[in-house]
Amino acid sequence: MAIRALSIVNLSVGYGDRLVLQDITLQVPRGSLLALIGPNGAGKSTLIRAASGLLPLRTGSVHTNGDDFLHLPSMQRARCMAVVPQAISLPPAFTAWETVLMGRTPYLNFLGQTSPADEETVRHALRRVDALDLADRRVGELSGGEQQRVLLARALAQSTPILLLDEPTAHLDLQYQVALMKTVRQLAHEDNLAILVALHDLNLASRYSDQVALLVNGKLEVTGTPSEVLTSERISQAYHLPVQVLSHPNKDVPLILPGE
Amino acid sequence: MTKRRILPYLVNLALLLAAVTLSLAIGSVVISPSQLWQMVSGWLKGIPMPKELETFAFIISDIRLPRTVLMLLTGAALGGSGTAYQGLFRNPLADPYLIGVASGAGLGAVIAMSIHWPYSLWGMLAVPLSAFLAAMLTVLLVYSVARIGRVVPTTNLILSGVAFSAFATALTSYLIISSQGEVRRALAWLMGGSSQNNWLIILAILPYLVLGLGSLLISGHALNLLQFGDDQAQQLGLPVTRTKTVLLLAASLSTAAAVAFSGIIGFIGLIVPHVMRIWWGADYRRLLPLSMLAGGGFLILADILARTLMRPQDLPVGIVTALAGAPFFLWVLRRSKNQGYW
Amino acid sequence: MFRKLIPAIITLTLLLAACAPAATPTAVNTQALPSLTETLTPTPTQVTVFPLTLTDGLGRKVEFSAAPQRIVSLTPSGTEVLFAVGAGSQVVGRDTFSDYPDAAKSVTDIGGSMGKYDSEAIVNLKPDLVLAGGINPQELVSSLENLGLKVYFLANPLTLENMYANLELVGKVTGHLDSATTLVTSLNERVATVDAKLAGVTEKPLVYYELDATPYTAGPGTFIDLLIQRAGGTNFGSSMSSAWAQISLEQLVVADPAMIILGDAAYGESATTVAARQGWSALTAVKDGKIFSFDDNLVSRPGPRLVDGLEQLARLIHPEAFK
Repeated sequence: MAIRALSIVNLSVGYGDRLVLQDITLQVPRGSLLALIGPNGAGKSTLIRAASGLLPLRTGSVHTNGDDFLHLPSMQRARCMAVVPQAISLPPAFTAWETVLMGRTPYLNFLGQTSPADEETVRHALRRVDALDLADRRVGELSGGEQQRVLLARALAQSTPILLLDEPTAHLDLQYQVALMKTVRQLAHEDNLAILVALHDLNLASRYSDQVALLVNGKLEVTGTPSEVLTSERISQAYHLPVQVLSHPNKDVPLILPGE
Repeated sequence: MTKRRILPYLVNLALLLAAVTLSLAIGSVVISPSQLWQMVSGWLKGIPMPKELETFAFIISDIRLPRTVLMLLTGAALGGSGTAYQGLFRNPLADPYLIGVASGAGLGAVIAMSIHWPYSLWGMLAVPLSAFLAAMLTVLLVYSVARIGRVVPTTNLILSGVAFSAFATALTSYLIISSQGEVRRALAWLMGGSSQNNWLIILAILPYLVLGLGSLLISGHALNLLQFGDDQAQQLGLPVTRTKTVLLLAASLSTAAAVAFSGIIGFIGLIVPHVMRIWWGADYRRLLPLSMLAGGGFLILADILARTLMRPQDLPVGIVTALAGAPFFLWVLRRSKNQGYW
Repeated sequence: MFRKLIPAIITLTLLLAACAPAATPTAVNTQALPSLTETLTPTPTQVTVFPLTLTDGLGRKVEFSAAPQRIVSLTPSGTEVLFAVGAGSQVVGRDTFSDYPDAAKSVTDIGGSMGKYDSEAIVNLKPDLVLAGGINPQELVSSLENLGLKVYFLANPLTLENMYANLELVGKVTGHLDSATTLVTSLNERVATVDAKLAGVTEKPLVYYELDATPYTAGPGTFIDLLIQRAGGTNFGSSMSSAWAQISLEQLVVADPAMIILGDAAYGESATTVAARQGWSALTAVKDGKIFSFDDNLVSRPGPRLVDGLEQLARLIHPEAFK
């Protein structure tokens, strides 16, 4: 039985009377990739924010490797879990290197003094996402795909066992979407990380993830393998759109085609 | 690599020293370079000052020197806190007066002026002390109104600051208009501080500046993290609310101390950080000390102009900083090749 | 109003105390202060006896070992007073706005606009007395003191008698007590003459005195208010709550003053500009052309020219009494 690296139990988040997330229970073991899918407004980003400690919970808990994550001090949390946000409005003046170096913060003193070991970690992270040649370029000059890779490298530099990604493919060209998902999958399987990715693209989710969780209107409809979750009834109901589900020609995963 | 890292500090320090030297050598009373040399070499050799140069020496040591030091400290405070505010609010238009320090100080000063203090040490300190307390009180009010639970959203701070500033300014104007002749004094203070200019004042503001600017100097890394937004900074391990509160207090403390004695001098807190960013990059660990050095130097230079442009008329420094600062900044902006320096 | 009485009483008391014979154990007191209403009769020449210690308008004790010969005046009224008592040649520095008498203009300018004075220039003149006045704040006095200068703060007089006392004080300190006393006597006579000419007047026309085109007028507690009343008029500004008061045009129209006196004539206001203002044509004074330009310095600088101001105001307000 795999160790439950990330364990979200009965999590609810709300504003005033409204519940935005209701009773979410999710487990992500190490060495696996879970894709969180659902229509816009379902609460995918909210779940990631709540799980990473940015929002107060109405009910529920988040455990990382057995620890009560939300009650750890901020530095501790940052060593446990790293989040890759969408690459929008990044401070343009920092170089890619400086940006990734921020990822080492949980291991640095208040002044932010770095050691050669930290710099090696940063170099390694950039290499991993194939962005080492971007190191001295200012982030403002990079393309969306390059920026996203830099953010992924930053999360890697945090050296955490758990990684959360919030719609990392949202503004990327097709080749970058695929490249990113390939890298993320590798990180899960080869580096033994527990990864949760919110995705809007169902086929990417199908192709690259081990588990899929479908979130609709703040509720977790179903969790399972891609084949189990990505059925035409479920998807049509969730997205209010008739869809055709075919079998992927090269892999044993579903392929979703919108429309009749 | 080391040389590149030291260069900015050397350059800024050199400029500062040049400014200080000019400030001691130039004033409304003209002292020729040969006389200056005579005084300096005599002082270095330990020979007593020739009688005809005694007055000049006195002018330099008792008028120009304290004034230069005061301008240096004030400029450093404004440069440093301006940088901190711009980093905190992630807004290139932020300046040290954004959340009410200036308007609060003005109100405090004018209230103190409408009370006729007896001529005493206390009477002399009443106005600056009142300005300082009112400034800090305003910041605290702005902060508590903007706070929602454990979070202090940036937008709320700005809105709250604008509202309180407007109120304080209006109240100040009303008090000035309905005052019994304190109008002149109040306006003079608002534009450029009191005419007090001695070591006592410098001692009075030094602890606040050391505390405030010292805290800012060690917060460069935190400010870098905050550039990514509160969410990402939190996720990277920074205790965001606590850090923002401390930064806000430290910056406001420095600004309040500076404003209390030097009045409301604009432009430095806004422009100096930008110039530093264009010249030396956006890393706040360097930006903060460099802005302090540059702020001090720039204000000293502006003060020299204020003292000599229309002698014997002593212009309020705030007018000179705005008039000289604007074209200078535009020139720097045009020459900067880094379009995305922010 | 009451708030202003207390400092006035204190100031008056201090000034009177300062004018009282100085009690020095060794010197024989030969000065005699003539009664303010006596006309000049041959008296022995009055000489100030030094050393002299006075308490200035801020309550500070200032010592004089001799009559100061290098005086820097920080206010236009101070300059006028110095020159009026005959101490003009002892003035080595004056503020920017000191423009009377003409001789003052050639004295070194040491700043003063917007309340900022050039301390370097002042120190460089090596003065043995700096004469400060009502418009100078405490901090200025203190900072000049810290530079080792001797400062005397001449508090603003609130009545003509206060002003006479200031003249005599300055005369005493600068070694011109005789001229000062003579001057005071003649000023007194001129004021008495005006009073006499106005003795039979029954009407007190309403006067609107304009300080600024915004419009601002002079309220209670100002010399303008005092002099207008002494000149047989009623000051429209008396009903205001502060010394420098912005008025409402509506109120002015309702009150309909008999005449408008433009203290801001020096800033370009004239009968023409006033008549051109929106809504001002409703005023009788405008229709009748009773708009007069006036040298504001004559009624706002607390010096001997206040009497000139009084005379001119009286002639404007009651021309019939001065035919």
